Amino acid sequence: MHSTLVRLQNVFGFFTTVAFTVATLIALSSFVSPQTPSANISLRNVQVVKGRPHYYSSKREEYAHIKFDLDADLSTLFNWNTKQVFLYMKAVYPSTRASEPPSEAIIWDAILASSSAPWNQNHFVHPDPKSKLPKQSNKKRAAAKTAPKSPFPIGELHLENQKPKYQITDITGKLGNRTDVTLELGWNVQPWVGALTWTNWREIGVWKGLQGGRSKAFAFPEVGAKAARPKDLETEKGSEGHRLVVGEEVPLKKAVV
Amino acid sequence: MADQLLEQVRDAVEGQIDFEGQRLAEMLSTVLLGAAGILAFLVGYMMQDIKLALYIGLAGSALTFVVVVPPWPFYNKNPEDWLPPHNAASQYNIDVDGQKVG
Repeated sequence: MHSTLVRLQNVFGFFTTVAFTVATLIALSSFVSPQTPSANISLRNVQVVKGRPHYYSSKREEYAHIKFDLDADLSTLFNWNTKQVFLYMKAVYPSTRASEPPSEAIIWDAILASSSAPWNQNHFVHPDPKSKLPKQSNKKRAAAKTAPKSPFPIGELHLENQKPKYQITDITGKLGNRTDVTLELGWNVQPWVGALTWTNWREIGVWKGLQGGRSKAFAFPEVGAKAARPKDLETEKGSEGHRLVVGEEVPLKKAVV
Repeated sequence: MADQLLEQVRDAVEGQIDFEGQRLAEMLSTVLLGAAGILAFLVGYMMQDIKLALYIGLAGSALTFVVVVPPWPFYNKNPEDWLPPHNAASQYNIDVDGQKVG
């Protein structure tokens, strides 16, 4: 500690030690914060239609379009170290061969931000069940300068007749008449520091397993069992939907007058 | 004149402190950084606010750097004096081949 340079090195060295130790403590503190997640999922409507993976494809596949209700209380997943929770709804159904594990496909997902996360346009904004107004696009909302607000506290969801974000198909291309399908809720808690954690079904310490979280088993109907109206097959774009994805359609540009 | 100035600059950059000052600097850096870390975690956990923890930790570290790194006068309160100059011949008797050399 005799000269400035040595003191600078010593202080910085111990600073990194302290920072790492505090970060470790914060990461561990997540595991002593009690969790009591619960979710109720029920099927609203399921339709199977023929379609193609993209416009120029000659392949014909069967697509399932699943609407659901979700009542979930995941507020205990949000402790001081939670940055965001990635929430997703899976359709789980047995594979065609018994030796293979069940197939899983995500039909809906959302990024639930914690209060400590800075605002981002990709964050999920819970639809207001009381609002009779038509849903505004992000652009319109930005123009009106009204910040979107969730009607429920963070981590609480009450979705009714929720449209899927993704229509799903199977690797075989056939989905009609498949039985024993369940909807299952999954999540990935992303902390500020520490380990990522996924859905836990069993009790671990002060973390209770997810209560509910699975719908009753149902079957995919026959292809075109109901005359499908285009409106019934609409999917919902998440707030991240404005992003351009390689190979996807480009958004319509306003006609230049 | 230029040599003197250069000497002063070198002293300021090197920032040497005395032995007691070194002991004090070592102690201060350990205590201040440790306290900042503990305080950051406790206050952040109490308030359930991770950004507060971050800022307390960073502020404490910045304070430690300011207190410990520059050669403040209170690190130089016990300067160690040079030994008094002495005549080597009066203390040592070195004989080489019967001839006194030191």
